[in-house]
Amino acid sequence: MSSNSDFTNFSRQSSKGIIVIYFGSLYKALKISWIFLFIFIRKFSQLTSDKLLYIFFAIIALLIFLLFRAYFIYKNFQFKIEGGYFILQRGVLKKTNTTIPFDRIQNINFKQNLIQQLINVYQVSIETAGSKKVEIAIKALSYKDAQALKNQLTQSIGFKNESLTEDLIKKKPLLTISFKELLKVSVTENHLQSLLLLAALVFSFFQQIEDILDGFGKKEILSNYIANEFNSLLHNILILTFLSVFLLILAMISSFVRVLFFHFNLTVFVKEQSLEINQGLLTKKSIILKKEKVQSITISTNPIKKMVGISFITFRQAVSGKVSQKKDKLIRIVGCKFDQIYQIKELLFDCKSVEKSELYKPNSYYKIIMYIRSFIGLFLLNSIVYLVFQDSYVLWLNTLFVPLILLLIRAKFNKAFYKFDKELLLIGNGRIETDLTYLSFFKVQNVKMRQTIFQERKKVIDLVLQTASGKVRIPCLELERAVKLYNYILFKTETSTKPWM
Amino acid sequence: MSSFENVLIENLPDISKISFKKIHKDYLKALLIYAFIMIMAFFVGAFFLIKYKLKEVIPEHVNYIYLGIFVFFTIFIWYLVVSFSKRKYAVREKDISYKRGVIIKTLTTIPFSRIQHVELDEAPILRIFKLASISVFTAGDSSDDLVLKGIKKDEALQIKEFISSKINE
Repeated sequence: MSSNSDFTNFSRQSSKGIIVIYFGSLYKALKISWIFLFIFIRKFSQLTSDKLLYIFFAIIALLIFLLFRAYFIYKNFQFKIEGGYFILQRGVLKKTNTTIPFDRIQNINFKQNLIQQLINVYQVSIETAGSKKVEIAIKALSYKDAQALKNQLTQSIGFKNESLTEDLIKKKPLLTISFKELLKVSVTENHLQSLLLLAALVFSFFQQIEDILDGFGKKEILSNYIANEFNSLLHNILILTFLSVFLLILAMISSFVRVLFFHFNLTVFVKEQSLEINQGLLTKKSIILKKEKVQSITISTNPIKKMVGISFITFRQAVSGKVSQKKDKLIRIVGCKFDQIYQIKELLFDCKSVEKSELYKPNSYYKIIMYIRSFIGLFLLNSIVYLVFQDSYVLWLNTLFVPLILLLIRAKFNKAFYKFDKELLLIGNGRIETDLTYLSFFKVQNVKMRQTIFQERKKVIDLVLQTASGKVRIPCLELERAVKLYNYILFKTETSTKPWM
Repeated sequence: MSSFENVLIENLPDISKISFKKIHKDYLKALLIYAFIMIMAFFVGAFFLIKYKLKEVIPEHVNYIYLGIFVFFTIFIWYLVVSFSKRKYAVREKDISYKRGVIIKTLTTIPFSRIQHVELDEAPILRIFKLASISVFTAGDSSDDLVLKGIKKDEALQIKEFISSKINE
């Protein structure tokens, strides 16, 4: 590795990279095979010493193989900078040569997972935008080299030296979230959402077990067990209440863990044209968010958060082709106070005039169609539940659901609005939470009007604005106003000379 | 609101006033040929299934099954024809628009300045009719970009050239 941080000739990452790659592949291997490992440990006592020996040899062979693999991956991973291009050669058997022009580079991020933190190296990811996904991660660079690489890559693009340099560290951050504040954030999280995420996790876990057991022909046992448990539960209200309390606690814990993992030690620095965000517990992430790359922002809060005086901002950046990567393009800052929100908003947009401009509500048809839809849904659900359980007792749950649905729809309609001025669109929505989305007209990629035959009769229409980071929808506008807005948005995007990313 | 009213006086080009072009009639023929092949394949499959399997199990329902299939495909063909007549497109100086939909109507417009690239495809049967499809890609979700199917190849090439020249401006 070149010590003077000169990238004009091909150089490799720090030799510590072998360790990072090695542990990375070890982790992947474990992730695939943990269930077999589990079974193996369970049956440990039943295995003969012969078999045990074989298995140990196999594992050791695998470990050595992975080590060699890591070495060769490291050896064949070379990069350089030449004439405005970043050039990367990699691949052991299949050689790949990637060339990225500087102006395609969207972001350069530093990251440290647990291993990288231990051996003090940084992962540098180079993000590019375009329909084809090209993302490059250099797994191990010393801080100095990482910094130098970033500087060289960013300098020629025109945004001068916007990197995390020493003077920046001394600069006072706009926002630091302490552990106590993080606790506040996690308590006020949407616990239902956390619970759903947890459920999804458990479900995939369960499916993995089922897949394995299926292989052994034991699927019946598991599903019978669960079905029996479920039936006996159904009529036992006491257990149900206990269960819901348990779930609530579980949800709170999972929210807490989630928030802590992602946002631990969150600090935000403001520079002239960008924000720098550092966060993460096990995997530390440092993200530079450039002003022009931000497609839209959403400021969200919920009643409890509002009481405590915090909300969070979600930034949407341009997404590259793959949908699975989308999550990384959503950057979230939690626990912002109102004046901090104001500062961040001011940095990105000139949003005072849009906030003062006239407020438009969706047509009341929006409310009606929501009522109709949810009652059709409820009716179907009821019929299915009735057919499955053959027990009208269950239908009493409707007394709980119907008012809840009515309330949620009312809240959703009350919170829906849109405002606009010459440059900006502000859209409000949400049910329990309140989301305010800000979008510059010229960032729009394409515009769509969508109208069902029922909407046509009422002369209302949905407007869907596609940006490089997802859709923004304005529901049920009056036709005339929608056409005006449509024309205006096209006018703005077609006459704009500003880069949309 | 004042700002917006201002712009209105400037008389913006109005999307609701432009004349949309219909998709070429030959494309309907191509669609019907596709549908015909599909229906034939389905009927042959269904015929054998009924003859060798279902006839013994539910002999009294066989006619209803045929009727059901027939009704389904009649609706399908009808839908094909109606939805075809709803597909319209327009190319303006600075953008391209496409309308479609029977039950849910949509109108999409993509400004040329946001187009990443344009593709021209010719599917096998479309080639017989000298038809082509133009796909327009933007940087957004590629799922929601615009595809114009069934345009005469000469015109498609023209449109593609036109867009390409506009992108590079």
